[in-house]
Amino acid sequence: MDKALIAFAAALAIGLPAIATAWAQSRIGAAGAGTLAERPELTGIIIILVAIPETMVILGFVVAAMILLML
Amino acid sequence: MIIRMAKVEIVGPKQDLLSALDLLHHRGIFQPDPQLLERIELTDDHMQALVLNEPELRERSFFQNLYERIAALLQLFPETVDCLSPLQPLPVMDLLDELVDQHLASARELLRLLNECQQELEDLQRDLIFWQALEPLLIDLPNDSNLELLGITIRDGQQLQALEELLQKRTQGRCHISSTKTTEGSLIGLIATDREVAESLHQALTDERVPESPLPEELAKLPLAQRITALRERLQQQSANGHKLEAQIVELSRRWQPTYRRALNWLEERLTLYRATATAYTTRLCFVIQGWMEHAEVLSLHSDLKLAFAGRVVLEQQAILEEDLDQVPVMLRNPGYFAPFEILSRLLPLPTYSSYDPTPLIGIFFPLFFGMILGDIGYGAILLLLAIFLAQHFPPQRLPSDIGKVLGVAALYTLLFGLLYGELFGNLGAVWLGLHPLWFDRSKDILPMTVFALTVGVVHILLGISLGALSALRRHQPKQALLKLAMLISVLLLVLVVVGWFYPQSWLKIGPLLIGVGILMPVLIAAEGLLAPLELLKTMGNIISYVRIMAIGFSSVLLAVVANKLGGMTGDIMVGILVAGILHAFNLLLGVFAPTVHSLRLHYVEFFSKFLDLGGRRFEPWQKHLP
Repeated sequence: MDKALIAFAAALAIGLPAIATAWAQSRIGAAGAGTLAERPELTGIIIILVAIPETMVILGFVVAAMILLML
Repeated sequence: MIIRMAKVEIVGPKQDLLSALDLLHHRGIFQPDPQLLERIELTDDHMQALVLNEPELRERSFFQNLYERIAALLQLFPETVDCLSPLQPLPVMDLLDELVDQHLASARELLRLLNECQQELEDLQRDLIFWQALEPLLIDLPNDSNLELLGITIRDGQQLQALEELLQKRTQGRCHISSTKTTEGSLIGLIATDREVAESLHQALTDERVPESPLPEELAKLPLAQRITALRERLQQQSANGHKLEAQIVELSRRWQPTYRRALNWLEERLTLYRATATAYTTRLCFVIQGWMEHAEVLSLHSDLKLAFAGRVVLEQQAILEEDLDQVPVMLRNPGYFAPFEILSRLLPLPTYSSYDPTPLIGIFFPLFFGMILGDIGYGAILLLLAIFLAQHFPPQRLPSDIGKVLGVAALYTLLFGLLYGELFGNLGAVWLGLHPLWFDRSKDILPMTVFALTVGVVHILLGISLGALSALRRHQPKQALLKLAMLISVLLLVLVVVGWFYPQSWLKIGPLLIGVGILMPVLIAAEGLLAPLELLKTMGNIISYVRIMAIGFSSVLLAVVANKLGGMTGDIMVGILVAGILHAFNLLLGVFAPTVHSLRLHYVEFFSKFLDLGGRRFEPWQKHLP
């Protein structure tokens, strides 16, 4: 039972931020695509902007890994 | 690095203005900035923006008009001749003014005739194909002068059948349709009919939208047998005519293009100088131009002006005032190792003159972070080979070559950290070669690796805040510098609090550290307002963001281990190598993309936001673009 709860906690720790990141990236990606149509010179900045919400899933991944490996 | 610039003022007698501008344009190292003089104009009644006098305006208008006509003529010439005439354009400008109209008229007329000729040639070729295909049908027809012949193009056999029925009905059987295929494969037909019913037949074809192929009038009058011969003769005649017209245009171009091209270049230069006069200000007798140039070039331009104008035109370097700082144009130039990293700093807008060139910092930290994240001997070796290929097979200072050089440095760091982590294609090195980590085993030591990543973040962010304080001092903003210093100490104290919390040490007392932060807080609030505590929290968030160095690296290791495990599970050496190879290739692709994007993000978002002021103006000196 404990193992199942630990696995569930880890899944939540990475799953929820993954959904949040996906939603944020979809919005930024759509806006970025629109921006690039008018100003292609902003490609680098748009790539960075799309990468910004990845912090959530990265931190989620760290927490999930810690839950699985340290508990 | 940001090249040191100089604010200079060039003063001389009014009559030397165009010559001085010509010299500056020729040297290509000076960027005029009329905005600098606008301030003086407001305080000095004698100083005003230059207005050209009437002869100068007349001359400019003449040159502009001539330039447009020559450009129009050159567009009509069929091919570009690279060589330029050695003729000096200015003495013969009046002659060219007369000649260009004549040549323009000749070239337009020749091109009109050539177009007509080519159009007729196309029609004749189409007719010839048509009537050649119908030739066998014409042989069977009686040589009856009362017979009207119509050529038509038919869509398909179904349309032919429908058309035949319709025409038989309209002419009460007084017509005959024969059909054949042309060499191009289209279906064509020949209608032979009585001249009396020809009119209603034409109408029927129009109603049914069947395209006819009428011959030119003089050919249509000919007897049937002579039509094709006449068509061929006409085609030959028009072809020869076309060649003759083309030769005339080429000859005109060959004879005159070098001269006109030379004149056009000269006029372009002259008109550029006239446009440049808008940047000059004048008093009753003198002109004044202010602008920017590289500091290292000031002496050389000074002596050039002295030599060319015998001391009449002088250059004076002026102090860059605090209010000028936002206007100073920026030029970045980086030596050897750092130069290729400009491809990454160019993704950002230019920094302001009083800020820093981010390129050297990217050159130092980007490959380091990349290596920390990827850290694998196998992947590093593959990337190094790819980098050598790119750097050697593309010309220097081109994008692929620069990418190769940046990738090469990143690959070396990947090899180094791979050795420290003891990774060769994940755990393959450990299993096959007994490779052991010299530092961390990333797949197991999550906590030490996290602490390492956060420590890197602390150092990087504190460096950023220190550079921000220095930048504020350079801009003579002591209050801002003090704020940065207070922020630096606060962050350091908070980091020590966190360290003391997780790793208690006898010398590390949390209480006094928190009191220190509390003392600094009013300073921060006084300098930056109520948002200062939020800024402090944001900075701590920035440091936590560096944990991605561990997280992305960790996921890369796990993928590599999974690739090896899946390869081993197949039970067959070849299939196992294939499966593991595909997964490693995928991991390598991710391993190039993710560390690049995230290393850049750590720079652009976390690091540069602490000190870099973006939005500088690019240094764009006057330069000759023409040979």
